[in-house]
Amino acid sequence: MNQEEALKWFAELFGLPVAGLSPDTPRTGISNWDSLGVLTLMAALDESFNIVVNDADMRAMQKVGDVLNLLRQHGKLT
Amino acid sequence: MAFSQLHGCSIRAICSSVPARIFDNLTETTEFDPTEVDKVVKMAGVRTRHVASEGICSSDLCIAAAKRVLSQLQWPAESVDALIFVTQSPDYFLPSTSSLAHRGLGMSDQCAAFDVGLGCSGYPYALWLASMMLSSGGLKRVLVLHGETPTRFADKSDRAVALLFGDAGSATALEKTAIPGAMPWSFNLHTDGTGWRDLIVEGGGFRDRTPTDASKLFVAMNGANIFNFTIKRIPALVEEALTCSATAPEAIDYFILHQSNLFIMKHLAKKMKISESKLPVTIQRFGSTGGPSVPLTITQGNLTRPADRALKLLLVGYGVGLSWGSALIDLPPEAILDHIVIDQA
Repeated sequence: MNQEEALKWFAELFGLPVAGLSPDTPRTGISNWDSLGVLTLMAALDESFNIVVNDADMRAMQKVGDVLNLLRQHGKLT
Repeated sequence: MAFSQLHGCSIRAICSSVPARIFDNLTETTEFDPTEVDKVVKMAGVRTRHVASEGICSSDLCIAAAKRVLSQLQWPAESVDALIFVTQSPDYFLPSTSSLAHRGLGMSDQCAAFDVGLGCSGYPYALWLASMMLSSGGLKRVLVLHGETPTRFADKSDRAVALLFGDAGSATALEKTAIPGAMPWSFNLHTDGTGWRDLIVEGGGFRDRTPTDASKLFVAMNGANIFNFTIKRIPALVEEALTCSATAPEAIDYFILHQSNLFIMKHLAKKMKISESKLPVTIQRFGSTGGPSVPLTITQGNLTRPADRALKLLLVGYGVGLSWGSALIDLPPEAILDHIVIDQA
């Protein structure tokens, strides 16, 4: 998966247009990335990539790029 | 490993019970913005919940269910050898709620009665205890009562739990049997106490009897940790239960999961590759009622029951503790399933 595909996956997950979404997009700029969105993201990471993220790491994610970095760390994003 | 296989027990009847008051999350919630409510309802799946009034406690819900069970089975109360009451929302710290139920049902002083302080994993644990008592000694009839009123410890301003919980009770009548060739019941039981903080009512117990922060009298849930616990432990538990009992997944008629949250249950079903047709869901109507959601789903989950054979059910409880467990049991075609609504205690 490349960055473009990862951004598309993220956009679909949160029901956003992919245009305008970048690694620098902050969590605060994504209304659906709230406490329910966190669960959605955790489930999607588990389902799509078999990645389980703990609560502290989820809280530390403050922008889209943090999610991309997680995918990178697990070898899912090149 | 806490794996047991037990012979010679049968479920004769299960009755679930709920308070009459129905709260509609979409139309009656005033604490949150309607858009927020809509999102939570879609995700957690709880449209309506039955909420106990001040006068209704776990004992009331369970006693009413037990009376129905005893009446339908035509079991005199004094014929029951033991009563197990599972709850984390007892009427009192002491005496045990089982004593209240014992009195309420007019049971004999020859009856053993005790409480089990487990939450969402309570039903498999209680069936394990009951079936051990039946298979190991002179006991012939055991009643398992499992009731919770979690709406009482839910903070109405906490979005994580305010729209989630409903109240329910249940009574399960078990009897010692000697049916040749009957399938043994299998139990797999687990605990991880390191997660004790992830679902907790911190105040009111003897570590903090009268907390200065009143919010400590309400339940606090770390949703992310509970989610991780569930997706890590439950698929592994189901696999373990099937392996230990040498049962093929296709042989299970229904997987009866604790009704924790629709989003989590659907995720689990996908992860475990369980068809949704084998996963009855009652959370939309009743909310998450804690451990009693398992017997409630047996009675209210629209199970198709063939007349000529027992249903094979894998019951799965998981949550506070952290504690989780499964019970692989058979439900004979003649077992009575019933449900009652209670107006007042």
